Amino acid sequence: MAGITLNVNGTHREVQVAPDIPLLYVLRNDLELSGPQFGCGLSQCGACSVLVDGKEARSCTLTVNRVAGKEVTTLEGLAARWAARQGLPASEAERTLHPVQQAWIDEQVPQCGFCQNGMMITATQLLEETPQPSVAQIKTAFTSGPSPHLCRCGSYSAIIDAVRHASSLIAKGR
Amino acid sequence: MSNNSEHTTVYGATLSRRQFVRAGGALVVGFGVVATRLWERPAQAASTRNSLDAAHSSSWFEIHPDNTILMRTGKVDFGQTTAHTAYKQIVAEELCVPFEAITGVVMGDTDRTPDGGFSAGFLEYGGANLRRAAAYTREALLDLAATRLGVDKGRLSVKDGVVSASGRQVSYGDLVAGQQLKLTIPVSGDLTNMFGLTVTGNPPLKPTAEYTIIGQSYPNTVTPSKVRAKEVWVTDVRLTNMWHGRVVHPKTLGSTLISAGALDKARFPSAQVIVKGNLVGVVAPTEWEAIRASQQIAADTKWTEWKGLPGHTDLHAWMRQHADWKTTPVSKSDKNHGDAGPAFQSASKSLTASYELPFMKHAPIGPTVAVGDARSDGTVFVHTHNQNPQALRGQLAMMLGTPVDNVVVRIYAGPGHYGRSNGGNAGAEDEAVILSKAVGRPVRVQWMRPEDLQWSTQSPASFSDIRIGWDASGTITGYQADHYMPAMQDDRLVGAVLAGLPTPPPPDVKAEAGSISSTVNSIQDPWIYDRVQNVAESGFGTFQIGQKASPLSIGLRDHSMRTPGQLQQNYPRELALSEAAALARVDAIEFRLKQTSDQRLIGVLKAVREASGWQTRPSPRPNAAASGASPIAGQGVSAMLRSGTYWACVCQISVVPGTGKVTVDKYTIAVDPGIVVNPLQLKRTIEGGALMGLSHALYEEMTFDESGVTSKDWRSYPILTMADVPEINVVILPHPEVGAYGGGSEAANALAVSAIAAAFLDATGKAARRLPLKPAYVQSVLKA
Repeated sequence: MAGITLNVNGTHREVQVAPDIPLLYVLRNDLELSGPQFGCGLSQCGACSVLVDGKEARSCTLTVNRVAGKEVTTLEGLAARWAARQGLPASEAERTLHPVQQAWIDEQVPQCGFCQNGMMITATQLLEETPQPSVAQIKTAFTSGPSPHLCRCGSYSAIIDAVRHASSLIAKGR
Repeated sequence: MSNNSEHTTVYGATLSRRQFVRAGGALVVGFGVVATRLWERPAQAASTRNSLDAAHSSSWFEIHPDNTILMRTGKVDFGQTTAHTAYKQIVAEELCVPFEAITGVVMGDTDRTPDGGFSAGFLEYGGANLRRAAAYTREALLDLAATRLGVDKGRLSVKDGVVSASGRQVSYGDLVAGQQLKLTIPVSGDLTNMFGLTVTGNPPLKPTAEYTIIGQSYPNTVTPSKVRAKEVWVTDVRLTNMWHGRVVHPKTLGSTLISAGALDKARFPSAQVIVKGNLVGVVAPTEWEAIRASQQIAADTKWTEWKGLPGHTDLHAWMRQHADWKTTPVSKSDKNHGDAGPAFQSASKSLTASYELPFMKHAPIGPTVAVGDARSDGTVFVHTHNQNPQALRGQLAMMLGTPVDNVVVRIYAGPGHYGRSNGGNAGAEDEAVILSKAVGRPVRVQWMRPEDLQWSTQSPASFSDIRIGWDASGTITGYQADHYMPAMQDDRLVGAVLAGLPTPPPPDVKAEAGSISSTVNSIQDPWIYDRVQNVAESGFGTFQIGQKASPLSIGLRDHSMRTPGQLQQNYPRELALSEAAALARVDAIEFRLKQTSDQRLIGVLKAVREASGWQTRPSPRPNAAASGASPIAGQGVSAMLRSGTYWACVCQISVVPGTGKVTVDKYTIAVDPGIVVNPLQLKRTIEGGALMGLSHALYEEMTFDESGVTSKDWRSYPILTMADVPEINVVILPHPEVGAYGGGSEAANALAVSAIAAAFLDATGKAARRLPLKPAYVQSVLKA
């Protein structure tokens, strides 16, 4: 056990955990965040994804000591991340949604929704780096990295629709 | 409270009414308080069977003085949104209230919902219950309004929850305010068996022509909470004093325990090992300690060896030769007619072919997880994601030897597993209860990814022998199908089996009352080609592979999966029809149109032809090729009737013969469900089903050796990724005059597999008669 200070969703939190514990268990059990999900524990599905310094990472295999000093964003932090980037006041940040989240609602993406945490995390990274992605770029974003992002319910076509919709929301500044 | 009580009869239901002196009131007992932490919601009291009495309308709907309504259903939505959209629309429509008036849905909790039964065929079964319960309730409200307004009931009109007559009006909220009302409605059935309770009788239903809510694309009211990380998932349940558990499952599907490993107390000071029969569990205060300790115990635990499975390599040859197809009664289609034997002799041409499908996994993205809470007072609470919570409750009571009243199952959102738990068993629930009881505190059991593939049930492998004869005009003279499949509904709790605790029997030749767990292979694919003169369709069933040989009585346990049984029978039928059309030199859609007079089937076939850009011509296509490095395009069609809905599907694919790579370029589907409840949700659900079907067709095959399942992760059990997503076109054909809501969440996956295989025939001129169409198999077919 050791004290490790984490920067999660803009807040510094100290946790007493083994340094080799995967970040996912700390996020879920110690910080009681429910966005990242346990899907495989093998970096093979993407249900557990978070952003680490803006890059999608699989928290189920990433040990907690490797994110010390880095900025971790979970699904819970997407709205504040958007607000900060847009320079919105904190009061408004609490009421807003990230355009990706709004698009996921507008396009009615989730079936069971269990994988959608990782899908929205990767969509966020994609749109931050490529605000107007083509369908081919969207497909590449969701199938590269440690593994393709997997959805058992087959929501992939809805996700493509939603990423394109989110892109247009961002272009309009929401 | 006064003793003045009145009783009236409403179409066979009984309404009783008392003045209620306190403020408030409702059409019934109101409790509807939603706790902030869902798992702390109080148990519903005052019911002898620890569940809401389905004979009371209050168990289905609470109508509040402020005109809001709480709705309850024992069905568990697992992603197709039905309980949150279609069910609310059906109830709002029948009650004549706005959709938005239904402000809450209680789903699945066994002490807080009335009906039970499996969560499948949502619109055909559960929807009918809600529709009738709502109709009884509306009629009772109209009776109350007639009395209140002093006019004949026949002169009343109702809109948006407000009853009007002669310029006077009263809202439902006004009618229930200050009253204690109890409407008793007729029901039948057994709450804790496979089917649950059914609302009976025939209350007057709202004419479909008057529908204003059904047919609208309401969004799923649960989506915002899932998207914002506000949903309480089954993975989020944390009880006070809860520990984490892992189960060390046996080395093989037939291994018994020799000795459990001893815990390294220096490394895991707080963990405990629980051994019960062949069940070895590890519990610890933290999840990481439970994981690490279970890994240490797994490495040090000794099991007997077992090699009782045939392995997947020559599975179908083994099944044909060695499985017992004689003990189980043969089932026959109720559409069988004529005499197929002479029909083949008089046919000008015929096709005889065999088709094979592999074992497939339900493969939820999250492994099964549950929290068991066996309390010192003898009550047991289980927190899970499950498609038949009442059946699970009954099975847990059997396992524990306790009255069913002592068991409560609470339901949360979770990863969709498409049929695995429709008989009550998702995987982890019974193990969580066993470990909780052993350590006297709540225990959360989470299976790991390999366990969820290796220790869960699967969709059974199957094969079919098909014979089709046709005359010179291309009209089918005879169709014969012999379908072979092991039992597909093993509802036993696997932890209970391992621990040697009571369970229902494994599937045998005859199902117990209230169960569909048998070896009988019933005909699941309704015959839709009514012009065919001679039809002989038979189903041959057998025992689960390895189950009788396994000392654990386990082997390869099977369970129904999306479009169960029908996928296994529709794939051979529709692919064989496309092959027959090719041999007859007739276009595959024209060939089907010749064999039917069913206007709804004709409608979807013509619609899918139009929408897909189908080329009307015989298969194979001109310049079809079985070799070369260039992609060759092909088209294929399939059709189905399921749960009152007609479907036709066209897949356009390309094949690169040199590499064996099959790509689906376009998937078009036409669907006629009769009444369309929610076009947007139907479309999204069909798209999802379509992509699951592509996954079946291109990737999915559970592998196993002589000892157990070797598919253990997403590399050894690959499923479709976004890279493979084709253009998808869903054509919805409403036919409200049908008067019923056909199902929409199944079929699309099953239609894909035969349409893709037919397109492969069109492109290459070669018939691929097994799935999946992986490159090595495709290349072997093309070289044959």
